[in-house]
Amino acid sequence: MSANRIYLYKRYERFWHWSQALLIITMLVTGFEVHGTYTLFGFGKAVYYHTFCAWTLLVLWAFTIFWQFTTDEWKQYIPTLKKVDAMVRYYAFGIFRNAPNPFHKTAEKKHNPLQRLAYLALLSILSPVIWGSGLFYLFYSSWAALGIDGYLSLEAVALVHTAGAFMMLVFFIAHVYLTTTGHTPTAHIKTMITGWEEEE
Amino acid sequence: MRLKYILLLAAASALLAMPAAFAQTAKLETIIAPPTQAASQVAVAAKAETASTADHSKFKALQTNFKSGPQVTEACLTCHTEAAKQVQHTKHWTWESVDAKTGQKRGKKNIINNYCTSPISNEKDCMACHAGYGWKDSSFDFAVEKNVDCLICHDTTGTYRKLPGDAGHPVYERVEFPKGSGKFVEPADLKKVAQNIGLPSRSNCGSCHFFGAGGNGAKHGDLDSSLQHPGKYLDVHMDEKGLNFTCVTCHVTEKHEVSGSRYNVAAAVKGPAHLRGKTDASPAACQSCHSDKPHSGRMDILNTHTAKIACQTCHIPEYARNEIGTEASWDWSQATVMGADGKPTTRKDSAGRRAFDSKKGTWVWDSYVIPEYRWFNGDSTYKVIGDKIDPGKTVQINEIGGAPNAADSRIWPMKIHRGKQPYDKVNNYLTVQHTGGEDDTALWHNYDWQKAIGAGMKAAGLPYSGEYAFVSTEMTWPVTHMVAPEHDALSCAQCHSENGRLQNIAGVYMPARDRNRLLDLAGWTLVLLSLAGVLIHGGLRIYTSKKKEQLK
Amino acid sequence: MLKAIVGFVAGVAVVLLLIYNFAGSLMFREIPSPFGVEETVARIQQNILNAGNGWSLSGLRNAAKPIEMDGGNVLPVLMIEACSTKYSGPILKDDSIRFLSNLMPCKISVYKKNDGKTYIGMMNAQLIGNLFGSMVGEIMGHVAADQAKFIVFDASKPAPAMIKGGSGGGGPAAAGAAGGC
Repeated sequence: MSANRIYLYKRYERFWHWSQALLIITMLVTGFEVHGTYTLFGFGKAVYYHTFCAWTLLVLWAFTIFWQFTTDEWKQYIPTLKKVDAMVRYYAFGIFRNAPNPFHKTAEKKHNPLQRLAYLALLSILSPVIWGSGLFYLFYSSWAALGIDGYLSLEAVALVHTAGAFMMLVFFIAHVYLTTTGHTPTAHIKTMITGWEEEE
Repeated sequence: MRLKYILLLAAASALLAMPAAFAQTAKLETIIAPPTQAASQVAVAAKAETASTADHSKFKALQTNFKSGPQVTEACLTCHTEAAKQVQHTKHWTWESVDAKTGQKRGKKNIINNYCTSPISNEKDCMACHAGYGWKDSSFDFAVEKNVDCLICHDTTGTYRKLPGDAGHPVYERVEFPKGSGKFVEPADLKKVAQNIGLPSRSNCGSCHFFGAGGNGAKHGDLDSSLQHPGKYLDVHMDEKGLNFTCVTCHVTEKHEVSGSRYNVAAAVKGPAHLRGKTDASPAACQSCHSDKPHSGRMDILNTHTAKIACQTCHIPEYARNEIGTEASWDWSQATVMGADGKPTTRKDSAGRRAFDSKKGTWVWDSYVIPEYRWFNGDSTYKVIGDKIDPGKTVQINEIGGAPNAADSRIWPMKIHRGKQPYDKVNNYLTVQHTGGEDDTALWHNYDWQKAIGAGMKAAGLPYSGEYAFVSTEMTWPVTHMVAPEHDALSCAQCHSENGRLQNIAGVYMPARDRNRLLDLAGWTLVLLSLAGVLIHGGLRIYTSKKKEQLK
Repeated sequence: MLKAIVGFVAGVAVVLLLIYNFAGSLMFREIPSPFGVEETVARIQQNILNAGNGWSLSGLRNAAKPIEMDGGNVLPVLMIEACSTKYSGPILKDDSIRFLSNLMPCKISVYKKNDGKTYIGMMNAQLIGNLFGSMVGEIMGHVAADQAKFIVFDASKPAPAMIKGGSGGGGPAAAGAAGGC
């Protein structure tokens, strides 16, 4: 049994993942309250929690980027088109026929090619959209001092930020669902908690 | 069968629990029930120990049995040689305010307001609130120093009173006021008053500013006699048992020039709180003590609001917060309407405030008024006597300046006073009417608009066509007094919501009030589609794996 | 069989939950008033005085006052207290339900909300009466019928003066049998 286990996610990585998950969920919940979709904490508290989580996540990212480079883990996010078609075919058909997953996780390659693409998109498209608009939003009162108040409108910034939030919510739904596609529905989640992947 | 009994029991216990729920509500009500002994009878303030180095009762010049106000002023001026000259430069004396930007001459002397309209031709009555003696018509000499009234602002005895009809002179002889009321006003002992002068108290300023437009609280709404002995709830600064500010604590006065005026409001003060001793352009503004970033800790996000919102918007959630209330409208077109018996009549509203008077028309009052909100940069352009109007539109007595998002503008709480006033149908300007007085042309004596307007226009030196009608008017008053304690400021959601206080304010994007419908529609559609997608995908997986199991 | 029982229990649970959830709003009513706070109070007071059936005013409370005295602000809340000896008598006589004196005197609250409008808040006397047996139910039915008349306004009549009564007893509002409640 133990021979079939590989140590996939290190302690920091797991800490990063789960704290980031918690922060993003909180920001989605509070963000849509600030947007006026519903009332949960009350507007003032929602803004406070949202802002607090944003700063916390920024600090977390600072540590994580440092960690990625010192451990060479950043290479996990280098995109590849190899086997992308196989992955797509697996999720579209194979998964229903109990076909084997064409990708085998190793400590060196944790993410399947689709995952790599998705995470890269998240990092290079979605996060600049959300962080960029979010920081402009946060520093709205300093626009005049920065001399940018003539070029930006809060409405546009809010629009971009909200669009980013919708994309993040869609990612969240797909991400959570895909965690159930391991050899058992909870296998991926267990791995993310313990760090150990049990192979079939 | 047993199950049925259990269910019945459960239902019965649920019913039994209901009275318990009422018991709780009832408890709540006892908590908020008022004590029968009203503590509203605020203790009369003991005579404040003066910090002055002069005891005026020891001054020789003041040991005279003064017969008139000007006599007292002459005595004052023997020591305070420059005082009258200083006063004569102020609005309190000239009733005129010149706009530094436009050069427009405003002030009571020149404008027609939305209440008693104009003092012109009614000086004898109106000048009860002039800081002077004897302004009874246009012949009044503004250079005579002894006609400056020192006592109306500096009396500390509370016995010095000026009544309509005396052109600014105090009561010299016992007089029934109001006429026919059976109530009498005693003359003040001018010697005693002169010997007991001091810094203006809330009552001094209030003797005019609380009663503007001829009634307690009528004009401003954020100024009325409740501020003589205010509780903390009403004004956190003036709180008699707390900070106990007087008017001049904020309206810092130099050379008798009182700072802070609604003619030119310091609407968007920036920068830090000011040091003591520093010459301050707008000492009466909140920011001069609090700075433009007064919130700290978790509240510091509110500092980002101060570039758009006046302090007053959140910190004066309602004005006229008492039973006195304030006038919401004055309809002059109902004046001269008589009672059923053909005689002049009056009517009061449910709270005992004036609602109708054949002399003056109808009024609507309100208490605890929720302000209307406007962008405001502090400027006001007034309709002065003779300015053309468009009778097809509601006439703005004062057009307030400011634009959405402009650097010099803030969102301000406003009292908008609505009314109907007579205007000259041919010349298209508001008319001046002679209202007060005992003569044949006075509206309140003869109930004849034609004569009253004729006399008023003559006094104002303005042609009158002889045809009048009534036009709708509005006057806008920035609300700035009656600052509530901090925990009573508006909460975020009172503006950040779809039907909040600022629902009609244009030019700013407010989260939770504003959103892009199209983006929301697209976003939620996408979210639902992805949810449906994963559900279908997952369902298929479950279905196919079950089928496989069955095949096995 | 088991499935049926589970289903039934679940159904009952849902109903109880619904009752728990909505009981509050069933017990109380809130209606907007076309008049300001003081005029609404004054008109209701007149309606009560003209209602007959032993009704009299027993007080007018201002629930906002104690909060103001404590240095806080709330929008105006006036509570009109009224009583009818005709209805209170039989309930107060019966030892087993004398605790219902908690509900006396009948109260109608008039208040302003943040939209600037005036509202009238009332208890659903009929529903509450029905919880305590047929006698109380019948009496409270009459109370509810009268209460419904209290909030019918004739706008063509001029605004009457608000009667500022002390609480339970003295003052002009306490004329008649108010002391008996």
